[in-house]
Amino acid sequence: MIVRGACAALLVLALTTPAGAHKLVEPGSPEKVADGAFRATSGTTWNRLQQSEGKYQEVWTIDGHKLNRLAFYGGVPAGKPLVKERDKKRDPLPKVTESMLLPDVPNLVERTYRTQYDIPIFNIGKQEPATLGGKEGIRFEYTYVDPGDEVERRGEAYAAIEGGKLYLVTFEAPSLHYFARDAAEVRSIVKSVTLRP
Amino acid sequence: MNRPLLAAAGALLISTGAAAKEQPLPPFTLGYEPQTVDERGMWSEADEWEKSVKSSTLRVDDEGLNAYVREVLCKTVGTDRCDGVRVYVLNIPAFNATMSPNGMMMVWTGLLLRARSEAELGAVLGHEFAHFELRHSLKGFQARRSASDVLAWTQVLGNALQVDTRNSQFSLIGSLFRFNREQEKEADLLGLDYLAQSKYPSRSASEVWQHLMEEADATATGRKIKKRHRYRAGFFDTHPTELDRADYLLEQSMAKGDTGDAGAASYYAALSPWLPKLLEDQVRLNDFAGTEYLLNSIAATTGWTGELLQARAELFATRGNPRDLITATTLYLNAIDVGHSRPATMRGLGLSLVKSGKRSEGAEYLRKYLEAEPGAPDASLIRMYVPDERTAK
Repeated sequence: MIVRGACAALLVLALTTPAGAHKLVEPGSPEKVADGAFRATSGTTWNRLQQSEGKYQEVWTIDGHKLNRLAFYGGVPAGKPLVKERDKKRDPLPKVTESMLLPDVPNLVERTYRTQYDIPIFNIGKQEPATLGGKEGIRFEYTYVDPGDEVERRGEAYAAIEGGKLYLVTFEAPSLHYFARDAAEVRSIVKSVTLRP
Repeated sequence: MNRPLLAAAGALLISTGAAAKEQPLPPFTLGYEPQTVDERGMWSEADEWEKSVKSSTLRVDDEGLNAYVREVLCKTVGTDRCDGVRVYVLNIPAFNATMSPNGMMMVWTGLLLRARSEAELGAVLGHEFAHFELRHSLKGFQARRSASDVLAWTQVLGNALQVDTRNSQFSLIGSLFRFNREQEKEADLLGLDYLAQSKYPSRSASEVWQHLMEEADATATGRKIKKRHRYRAGFFDTHPTELDRADYLLEQSMAKGDTGDAGAASYYAALSPWLPKLLEDQVRLNDFAGTEYLLNSIAATTGWTGELLQARAELFATRGNPRDLITATTLYLNAIDVGHSRPATMRGLGLSLVKSGKRSEGAEYLRKYLEAEPGAPDASLIRMYVPDERTAK
């Protein structure tokens, strides 16, 4: 009976908090992001996706990740890829390297996307000095086409290399409408970002 | 919105070889009208698809390149045949070409990088054209339909009779894949006939598969995984194995005994405007050993040109181990020595030197990059590594 009662209780729990539910990011207060590698404050409500690709990544979205995807990659050390490889042997990803400089970061993102998401078209645009969490960093723009839906997406990313680790924030949305709609909110989130000391 | 090309590709292309009635006219005839209900349906579906391909973001919108690929097709299969074909080059860095039942041919850029001569490109295009001439899509559609009818009925009967139908389903599905393989072989052999009648040597068809196996071996070695080449296709394989194809194509071409100029030099001469972009896409695929193999194989024909040295330098620089940076620096310098002093060469060399701890030497080359391309999209970022530029800014 006790066992049956416990099972029933578990069932109720499972029904009330569905596994894998996305949590809300409430505006206005600093949130721990990517296992505490960052803190960031949003101006509007975002969804924090429960599924992440590996331990360094956390993804936020407003309308769904195909429409707006704000990804944080926190403290990726040398020798590690940005995300968990889908097949370590057959589709290995490029790794963060000790000698990596800021101008290498866009290339790392491009090569990761080409392999992990089978992106055949990826163009890197403007790249300029910027700060992320008060550290010297890079801001860069890119566009890419996902062959799954053939929608052109625009991306804007910020990165810094601190203590031999890469900190990267990327925002991607369809070039049409969505990117421009949320870009200001994303830039304000990026300004609020602090890195784990 | 465009219909996703790759998803649709599976549905329309390729397949099976059940015997069909003789059609009155070959499908490449000018003004050919599809004959049966099935054929009309497939053509109209393919026409719709072609519209989306035309406006696809994946398409390489370069008339010269599309025209050249078409020219090689025409030289292979003959102008009377190729008149009915529209060629579209798609920017996808993998080895593939496809043909749909209405005469639309799609060629991926990864094939262009891997073919080593007009004859090898012609072998693949001729093979695809053979699917079209033999109406394989139609036969495949019909075979798939009849096989799936049987499958559906087996399942229903199985449920009613409470018998295990899993084995019979398994063998039916297998027969579908074997039909595919038989069609592929049929297309291989007709493709070989085209080559033998053209000015290109038919032996090139076998070489395509030999080179693909060598590349796969190189990739496998680089990734420390097992090499796999088999003579016999597995149950679910839609194509004969590469080894099998290389073998029977060589045997058949020896029987034909034709010779000819494969057009290696003319191929690379024609491809040269697009080669840097093809190489750049390949280098960014994160397949170090496979890319090394490709670069070496191109160099075997063209010699180590500036473009190839630059691509190899980028390959080492992006892997970025300390000794890779030494190799990359050397290769950039070699490229400059053969007269390849592009802004990208200066940038790559400069950054490699900076990463190797030679900041002031690196800054010299980065300064040259900025002089050559003051409006480069990364100019302000690169200035961070050029001391006086940084303070001047």
